[in-house]
Amino acid sequence: MNRYEMIYIIDTGLEEAARKELIEKVSALIEKNGGEIEKVDETWGKRRLAYAIDYKTEGWYVLVTFKAPAELPRELERNLQINENVLRYLVVKLVEKRSSVKPRANRPAPVEAPAEAEAAPAAEAPVAEAAEEAAPATEEAPAAEAAPADAE
Amino acid sequence: MSEDRGERRPRPRGGRRPRRKVCTFCVDKIEFIDYKDVNRLRRFTNERGKILPRRMSGNCAKHQRQLSEAIKRARAIALMPYTVD
Repeated sequence: MNRYEMIYIIDTGLEEAARKELIEKVSALIEKNGGEIEKVDETWGKRRLAYAIDYKTEGWYVLVTFKAPAELPRELERNLQINENVLRYLVVKLVEKRSSVKPRANRPAPVEAPAEAEAAPAAEAPVAEAAEEAAPATEEAPAAEAAPADAE
Repeated sequence: MSEDRGERRPRPRGGRRPRRKVCTFCVDKIEFIDYKDVNRLRRFTNERGKILPRRMSGNCAKHQRQLSEAIKRARAIALMPYTVD
């Protein structure tokens, strides 16, 4: 048994009930083939795609971590490939040695970050931060210049 | 030629930037670069979405390899762009 992490993107055109069903189906497929689901993370939800896939600009992201025998990813990928509502998928083996202790502390943040970034489009976030940083700087500068002038 | 400038401080040969950059992943003690950490990965791409070379990012070889792998994975699932025009 290996630990795997799978992320897949569901078409947002799919209704909620149908989406739930699809997620269930994928989970069932994993368990049917001797896998063991650890977590199904739907907190990612609807996200803007970095580039259009089949002319779609948004997708519903689902992250699944599971334990499974080595043959399962191939079968899983075959099924996801067939399903038209799955835009993309990625199955990655979790490397225990490297992701021990230290990365654990670092990893929760990236998982939560996308959920927060969801409200504001990711591309805008850095710009907004930069603007906030720039604003006080420009305000302080004239004030500093003005102060000595007044003193004199 | 170089003797004329003997009074000045010796400059490293051909080095415009004598200060060596440090690998940010080593500093943060990150052993595994997660492809889902888009905000971090984005800092290592240029405005066209290309991966920055080590000479720009200052990463060590080990982390640069992991980084490029992570960025490529992120691209595959549309978390990061392949190209930006």
